[in-house]
Amino acid sequence: MRDAYLIGAGQSAYGSFPGESYRSLFETAFERAVDSVPEGVEPGDVDEAVVGTLGVGGRQLGLSGPAVTEHVGLGGVPTTRVENACAASGYAVRQAIQAVKSGMADVVLAGGFEIMTDTSSDATKYWLGVSGETEWERLSGTTFSGVYAQMASAHMDAHGTTREQLSRVAVKNHANGAKNPHAQLAFECSLEDAQSAPVVADPLNLYHCCPTSDGAACALIASEDVVGKYTDDPIRVAGVGAGSDSVGLFQRDTYTGIPASRRAAETAYEMAGVGPEDLDFAEVHDCFAIAELLAYEDLGFCDPGEAGDLIESGRTEIDGDLPVNTSGGLKSKGHPIGATGAGQVVEAFKQLSGKAGDRQLDDPVRGLTHNVGGSGGAAVVHVFEREERSSSERSSGRSPRESESGVAR
Amino acid sequence: MTAPGTADTSIGIEAAGAYAPRFRITAEEFHEAWGQFQAAGVSEKAVPAADEDALTMGYEAAIHALVAGDLDGADVSWLAFATTTPPIEEGDLTARLGAMVGLPDDATRQNFGGSTRAGTRAFWAAMDAVAAGGGRALVVVADAPMGAPDDAMDHAAGAGAAAFVVSADGPAAIVDRAEYAAPYPGTRFRERGAETTDGLGVTTYDRQAFRETIGGAVDGLEVESNPDAAATTYDAAAIQAPDGKLPYRVADAAGVETDTIQTAATVHDLGDLGAASVPVSLANALADGHESILAVSHGSGAGADALAIDVDGDVPTRLALDGDDPLSYAEYLRQRGVVTSGPPSGGGAYVSVPSWQRSIPQRYRLEAGRCGECGAVAFPPSGACRDCGARAEYDRFDLPGTGTVEAVTTISQGGAPPEFAAQQAQSGDYAAAIVAFDATGRRSSSGGDDEDSAGAAGEDAVSAPAMGTDAEPDAFAVGDRVEATIRRIYTQEGVTRYGFKVRPSMRRE
Repeated sequence: MRDAYLIGAGQSAYGSFPGESYRSLFETAFERAVDSVPEGVEPGDVDEAVVGTLGVGGRQLGLSGPAVTEHVGLGGVPTTRVENACAASGYAVRQAIQAVKSGMADVVLAGGFEIMTDTSSDATKYWLGVSGETEWERLSGTTFSGVYAQMASAHMDAHGTTREQLSRVAVKNHANGAKNPHAQLAFECSLEDAQSAPVVADPLNLYHCCPTSDGAACALIASEDVVGKYTDDPIRVAGVGAGSDSVGLFQRDTYTGIPASRRAAETAYEMAGVGPEDLDFAEVHDCFAIAELLAYEDLGFCDPGEAGDLIESGRTEIDGDLPVNTSGGLKSKGHPIGATGAGQVVEAFKQLSGKAGDRQLDDPVRGLTHNVGGSGGAAVVHVFEREERSSSERSSGRSPRESESGVAR
Repeated sequence: MTAPGTADTSIGIEAAGAYAPRFRITAEEFHEAWGQFQAAGVSEKAVPAADEDALTMGYEAAIHALVAGDLDGADVSWLAFATTTPPIEEGDLTARLGAMVGLPDDATRQNFGGSTRAGTRAFWAAMDAVAAGGGRALVVVADAPMGAPDDAMDHAAGAGAAAFVVSADGPAAIVDRAEYAAPYPGTRFRERGAETTDGLGVTTYDRQAFRETIGGAVDGLEVESNPDAAATTYDAAAIQAPDGKLPYRVADAAGVETDTIQTAATVHDLGDLGAASVPVSLANALADGHESILAVSHGSGAGADALAIDVDGDVPTRLALDGDDPLSYAEYLRQRGVVTSGPPSGGGAYVSVPSWQRSIPQRYRLEAGRCGECGAVAFPPSGACRDCGARAEYDRFDLPGTGTVEAVTTISQGGAPPEFAAQQAQSGDYAAAIVAFDATGRRSSSGGDDEDSAGAAGEDAVSAPAMGTDAEPDAFAVGDRVEATIRRIYTQEGVTRYGFKVRPSMRRE
């Protein structure tokens, strides 16, 4: 299979925008993604589009893909809508990569959108619950805050993880988000603030939960055959992995980790021929503080049970050796469900192309994105890698696994 | 008249159970709120939780009666459910109650209501049914009256349930029965469509109706036709108690001493139990070991039933009438839904009533399944086996309902799914847990073997999510033992869905 490259990515601001529609937000993200391509790209170059959205509010449950791609002038380009709850557009990116790697398309748009703040908070909760296991889990009285709180209770019981460690996730991500002009909650918070917030679902308080958000994000994936036309600084999709699991937490093998994330990470690392120690940064799915701690363990940043120590060590802060969620994460940047996965790719693109502004890391080469649907019914992981400048070196820079296995292109 | 039965057999109570909710409110709380308390002789009363109603309380009492008698639903061929406060005005609740306690599908089911006499009417019918067809009857009576907040009716209104297994040769023989009726309109009534029970409050008229009917029914008993003799005969008298004073006022008409009434009385601590007033007092008298019991109900309108009971031997009873969770008056109004609004309008994650109906074996009786391929236990028993992935048939069985908390959270105000917003407004924060249920139950399908699948308790378990009830949310922690019961889950489109919740393991151990 041939290689796929991330040639551009952009997002709307995340927040609450009564003056915007899902189409206008998508349009903003699309324009920014197009503008981010170093050598430019014409809408007519796009062969295919994959769009992720959950459909909160039920405003356009059918044909929500074409509803936005036609709006931005992709006239007639085949569009597929992907629904995998909060991992919808993470999976849209994966579908785009598959289309490129298979040879069916050279340039594919992967994006996502969600409008969540134009209905009452009660009505929104109906929709937030639709990705939980509806008949049993939800009807035991839980929304996602409750299910992740249950995971936190199990993790605390098994590993001694503390409320303060949960709060440290919020403090770190807010510190990062405060540097992101697109973040919804772009302010710093103190550990004291993060510990004294009102309880939502014990042990999770308000600062352990991401907000509901409006927003859209887009990424452009191109094949190795055409990437040279769009950039001299190619960012290769080094690894892709995904996994599924039972939708309801109660039907899983463990409550202290997300098996779908582990499977996705293992697959992505293997394809990329790298391990967690080779990463320069990661954007992980921190819908709740406990989710980031679970991600540390599931993605191999630390051993099982040691995520609390890892956040406490400061190693995942922006100046640590493995910065996590430099964008602010879902917690501070926001979580417009269908846009989140593509939005993580936007941060990876910005960091790898040196356009991350005040939160720019020092010359990162390799970054990971990790997007989870529901409480772990779906997960997808990507590893992006900045290649050497010269196109002649690019072919030799391919992943060891592919070179060794001699996969025909 | 003489009770049905031949010379050789009598009809009697084989086992009894009773239940009252855990919440209590004192007369002082009402006094503080209203400047007066209008329910004479009631010092405190039981208050149903937001997820309780006559059906769930009846279920609790029924399970207690069956457990006391070492019986299960399959042993029952006739069921009566009596209440003046059914959670729906039209719709047969006995189908659900029967499914909850595991009755055979072809068991006879009867509904009784309309007045506080409904409980003894159910007894009456049970006696006739057993006399005619043999078998075992289960009489379930539950009530939670409700009046306007400023009304004496509401000040007295309590909550409770009792259940009795009635069969030939039950040790508490019903040796005689009599009834009496006279038209007294305007005494205690609930208008069509009304939430609360009302009464004209014409004191002397109400008392006359009460006295005439109760006296008339007792006079009809042949066993002790002389009231003076009866006064020395009965050990205990369970008399209808709309408040804590009225039953004593008719002691002479019933031919008993006030002490005889007091010994069985529950009104002082539980309040007016409506149709369950006499049945709960009767269960109380049986539990106390009384040997000669008079039970006299009164129903507005008006009518009365009198039952004379002679106990020969032990009647197994299980009473769960204690409660010590105090409510303030404001909390009382919240729990009862007086000051809260209904659920918000709908959205996604809709579970249709037909979908719910298909899951009733799981909701009511925790029916799980053992994978025909590898033997792993699945809940619900559908889809590919979680353990081996086979799509084999499940060998279905009911879980025993005990388990251990594996993960738990307390859902705070605003954290609940909208379906639970109304309940949360009424009852506040609640626990939501994942429970590893012990999978050592008997099988409901043929061919299973209890002992084979049992093993050591806790060794074999299957997980299911469950809401906590019957205790504050902090009473649930990882590792705690819990037991299942049935409560209201939520109401949508006017249909209340009932299903299992869990509570700290204590009452049934």
